[in-house]
Amino acid sequence: MVINKKKVFVLGLDSMPPELLFDRWLDQLPNIKRLISNSIYGEMKSTIPAITCPAWVSMMTSANPGRLGLYGFRNRSSYDYEGLSFASANTIHQDTVWDILSKMGKKVVVIGVPMTYPPRPVNGCMVTCFMTPDTKCDYTYPHELKTEVESISNGYILDVGEFRSDNKEPVLKTIYNMTEKRFRLTRHFIRSKEWDFFMVVEMGPDRIHHAFWKYFDQEHPKHIPGSKYQDAILNYYKYLDEEIGETLNLLSDDTLILVVSDHGAKKMIGGICINEWLIQNGYLKLVQYPAESTPFNKLIVDWENTMVWGEGGYYGRIFMNVKDREPRGVLAPQHYEHFRNELIRKLEDLRDENGRNINTKAFKPEDIYTECNGIPPDLIVYYGDLFWRSIGSVGNRTIWASENDTGPDDANHSQYGIFIMRNGKSQYGMRREGVTLYDIAPTILNYMDIQVPVDMEGEVLQ
Amino acid sequence: MKIQMQNEECKLKNKGFTIWLTGLSGAGKTTISHLLERKLKEFGRNVEVLDSDVVRTNLCQGLGFSKQDRDINIQRIAFVCKLLTKNGAAVISSAISPYRDARDKARKEIGNFVEIYVKCPLEVCAERDVKGLYKKALKGEIQGFTGVSDPYEEPLNPELVVETNKETVEESTRKIMQKLVELGYISPKSPVANVYSPEEEARIKERLSRLGYI
Repeated sequence: MVINKKKVFVLGLDSMPPELLFDRWLDQLPNIKRLISNSIYGEMKSTIPAITCPAWVSMMTSANPGRLGLYGFRNRSSYDYEGLSFASANTIHQDTVWDILSKMGKKVVVIGVPMTYPPRPVNGCMVTCFMTPDTKCDYTYPHELKTEVESISNGYILDVGEFRSDNKEPVLKTIYNMTEKRFRLTRHFIRSKEWDFFMVVEMGPDRIHHAFWKYFDQEHPKHIPGSKYQDAILNYYKYLDEEIGETLNLLSDDTLILVVSDHGAKKMIGGICINEWLIQNGYLKLVQYPAESTPFNKLIVDWENTMVWGEGGYYGRIFMNVKDREPRGVLAPQHYEHFRNELIRKLEDLRDENGRNINTKAFKPEDIYTECNGIPPDLIVYYGDLFWRSIGSVGNRTIWASENDTGPDDANHSQYGIFIMRNGKSQYGMRREGVTLYDIAPTILNYMDIQVPVDMEGEVLQ
Repeated sequence: MKIQMQNEECKLKNKGFTIWLTGLSGAGKTTISHLLERKLKEFGRNVEVLDSDVVRTNLCQGLGFSKQDRDINIQRIAFVCKLLTKNGAAVISSAISPYRDARDKARKEIGNFVEIYVKCPLEVCAERDVKGLYKKALKGEIQGFTGVSDPYEEPLNPELVVETNKETVEESTRKIMQKLVELGYISPKSPVANVYSPEEEARIKERLSRLGYI
C-alpha cells in the first residue's frame, strides 16, 4: 500500500500588504526572503468586501461571499430594522478545506482561522479565532485540548483587548504577546500532533497596521515625524520573520508551504459619514437630529420618509427601504433599479473637503457574486477606493471625519493581500500575477491528491 | 408559556428521523447530504450520514449490484437507520436505492421516514459523471448500472422531489429543511442567533467596533 505522506502547512497573516512585505522591507526579513527565493509569490486578490469575514471563509471554501451568504461579520437576518446578526462557524454551509480533508481521513490542525467559533468536530484539533467571546468559552476541539493550549501558551490570547487607545505601549505589548503565544503553540502542535494539513492565522499584522500605520507612512494625513513608534510595524515584521523562520525550520522540505493573507492594508485618509450624506441629500430623515455624535441604531428614524440608510465599517453597506419588503418601506419596487443607479452615480461622485473626487466604487451584489444567499446589502461601497472608511454615526453635521467614530484608527484594508507558495519544485522566486484567494483551497486539495469539488471557484496554482 | 415552548423544542430535538435520499448516481445525493448535515447541526441535532460509498466499504463489503445484493444492501442501511432514528438521531441515507419495494420496506421498518426523490435526467447525470462511472457503464464495462443497464423505479409518493438540474444545492436543501419543519421534525425557529448569549454578543460587538470592523 502506498501511504500518502503529503503535508500542507498554511500560515495566514491577516491583512498583509504586498507593498510593505515584498516591495519595501523584504531585504530586512531574511527568513521570508529565503522562503520566497524558493517559491512562487505575489499579490492575491481578496473578496469584495476585502474584510476578514468573509475573506478567510471564501479562501478556505473557494466560494464567493454571495454563495456563502456572508457580506460581513454581521448580516441581515430579516428585512426589518432590528440591525444585523453576527455570523459564526454555524452560519457557514460550505465545506472548508479541513472539513473535506477530515472526511477523507486526513489529520488536520486548525488554529485561529477567523469564523471557526464555535469549534466544530474535525479529524484532529482546532483552536478557534478572535470571534470567540473569551478564553472561558469552549474554544477548542476536542474540548480537553483547551487545557493543553492554556498550559503551553501560559494563558492563550485570542485578540488584542483594549485596542482603540492613544496609549500605544500596552497595545504594542499585547500584539507581541499574542503573536508569541500563537507561534509557540503552533510549534508545539507541529511537533506533537499527527497532521497532514496544518493551518494557523495570526491577527497581529492587522492589529499593528490599524494602531501604528501613521507613524511610518509619511503620506498619512496624521503622520507624526520622528515618533518613537516610527519603526513599530517594521520591527514587528522583523519579529514575525524570526518566528516564521523558527517555525518553518520544523517542516520537512517536501511540505507544501503557503503563506497567505485575506487582504492588504493601506493608509486611512478619513471617514465618510454616510448617514449624514444621506440626510443632506434628502434620502434619510430622522425624527430628531441628535445633539452629539450618535450611533445609527440609537437614532429614531422617520422610516416613512426614508429611502436609504448606511452601515459603518471599513467598507460601506447601503440598505434601501423598499415598499412591501421592509416593514415601513417607501421606495416602490418598480423604481428600485433606477434609484439604485442614481445612488451609485452620486456616491461615485463623492468629494473630499477640497472638492476632489475621492474615487468611490459602489457594487451591486448581483454583479459581483454568482448568487446572493441570505439578505445582501443593496449596495457595497468602497469609499475613496478604501482610503476612506464608512461611518454610520450622525451628529457632527459634516460628511467628512478625520477620526473613526469608534476611536483612532490609522489604516484601512486594501483589495490585494499576499501569497507565497513553496511546493518543493524548483521555483526560484517567481512573482505570479492574477492569483485570487479562491485559488488556495483547490491548490491544497489538488496537492493532497483529492478531487477538487466542481463548485470551487478558484484555479489550482502549479 | 416560555417553558412550554422550550419543552416543545426539546421534544423536537430528540425526535429521530431518517431522510432517505434516492436518485440516480450523479443526481446530487451526496452533495445535498453534506449541506443538509450542516443545516441540521445548526439546529443542535446529532446527525449521521450514511453515504452509499462509505456503507459499501464498511457495512456491505462483498455485496455486488445484483437485485438480491442491492436489496440486502438497502436492508442493512435501513436497519442502521432504524437504530439511529430510534435513539433520536437525524439520519441521512444517500444510497441510489433504485427499487420501490426495497424503499417501501425501509419506510415500514424505520417509521419516521422522509423520502426525498433527488431527481435529475439521466443525460445530465451522465454528463456530470462525477465518478466516471457512466462512461464505463455506457461502454459496457460495468454491468447492472442503474439507469443504463438496470432500472431505476421512481418514487410514487415521496415526501418531496428536488430537481437538481433546475435548482441549486442550496435551494434543494432549503426545500428539504422546510419539509422537515412541516413534518414537525425540526423547529421553525432559526438557530443562527443561538451561538452567542446576549452578553457575549454585546462584548463581541464592542470588540469589533473598537477594532474598526463595524
